[in-house]
Amino acid sequence: MKRYWKFIVPAGVVVVVIAVLVVSLSSSLVYFNTPTELTEQGPTDARLRLGGQVVPGTVADTTTGVTFEVTDGRETVDVVYVGAPQQLFQEGIGVVVEGTWDGSLFHSDTMLVKHDETYSTDEGTYDPEHPFGDGSDQA
Amino acid sequence: MEPQVRIRRWPWVVIALSLAVAFTLSMISPADSVQGDLVRIMYVHVPSAWLAYTAFFVTFVGSVAYLVTKNLKWDRIAAASAEIGVYFTGLALSLGMIWAKPTWGVWWTWDARLTFTFIMFFVYLGYLALRRTTDDPIARASRSSVLGVLGAIQIPLVHFSVVWWRTLHQPPSLIKPDGPAIQDPLMLTALIIGVIAFTVVYVALMVKRIELIHLDERRLQIEQSIERPVAGEAVTAPELGAT
Repeated sequence: MKRYWKFIVPAGVVVVVIAVLVVSLSSSLVYFNTPTELTEQGPTDARLRLGGQVVPGTVADTTTGVTFEVTDGRETVDVVYVGAPQQLFQEGIGVVVEGTWDGSLFHSDTMLVKHDETYSTDEGTYDPEHPFGDGSDQA
Repeated sequence: MEPQVRIRRWPWVVIALSLAVAFTLSMISPADSVQGDLVRIMYVHVPSAWLAYTAFFVTFVGSVAYLVTKNLKWDRIAAASAEIGVYFTGLALSLGMIWAKPTWGVWWTWDARLTFTFIMFFVYLGYLALRRTTDDPIARASRSSVLGVLGAIQIPLVHFSVVWWRTLHQPPSLIKPDGPAIQDPLMLTALIIGVIAFTVVYVALMVKRIELIHLDERRLQIEQSIERPVAGEAVTAPELGAT
């Protein structure tokens, strides 16, 4: 029995350490905040990430980038994005934008497109000449 | 003298056939409506990640079995599996990055799934390095078995990271409570056959890798059995007179 303690004790210590790390790091393991969380929490100076779906019909070009609304189905946040949008950026797609939240507008300079787990060929046929749309629908 | 190690040829044939089937299916399956042809990366990325989990789980089983039975057979299985697992973790990471740049817009980001996979990759590289810290097979087997058991904690952590925390990486498409999130039958077939084909490749690689370990042990045995002149051999111990 004695030789098993040689393994059980260190293994127990490692498991406890990992558990403590995971629990204490849990909040920073969350990659982005939802529009609901931002509206509830109010304006902050900290730089944070906002994730959600681009509301169809809200994308508008500006001289320096685009503006659009991001929703999680409950709340909606207006985003002012400065820079060139990502290749796959379009209405209805998931995005994660990085920036600051002033309580009414989310000012962002970094955009990531979040691809969901669904894959389909439903929406028309894919045209290899224009893999990311024909350009006319890019608001 | 131990019998000669049997060299099998069938694993190479099996690997070539499985990869050919998986490759053909991934090429004839349709393009995705959002990503286009980028979706084809999934047919290697997902099976690679699956193999990484499987391989490290086998390393875990081999390590536990070694610690219980002290039979080196289990250590060979654990070692061979870890090596294959590291390769496929690296493949999944690299292909993921190649996919992420045009899709997400960045090569890499520190979300929970990516971070834990990165750590898992280096822990098992460490496992392979640990195996090279000694040439005593017993010490090597016991040390690496402990790491093989502890390292396995990461398998569920990596897999469920996309469920437990909000991540940029998408949750699993295939194994979901309400069925796969892939509607197109050809896409789904390509992915499932890809996973099966990679599993077959894993088994074939394991057979070859364990064969190589046996060859290596055999070589060591032969080397040790060759009689070499020993320094000081000519010197004889002085005889003590009976007193």
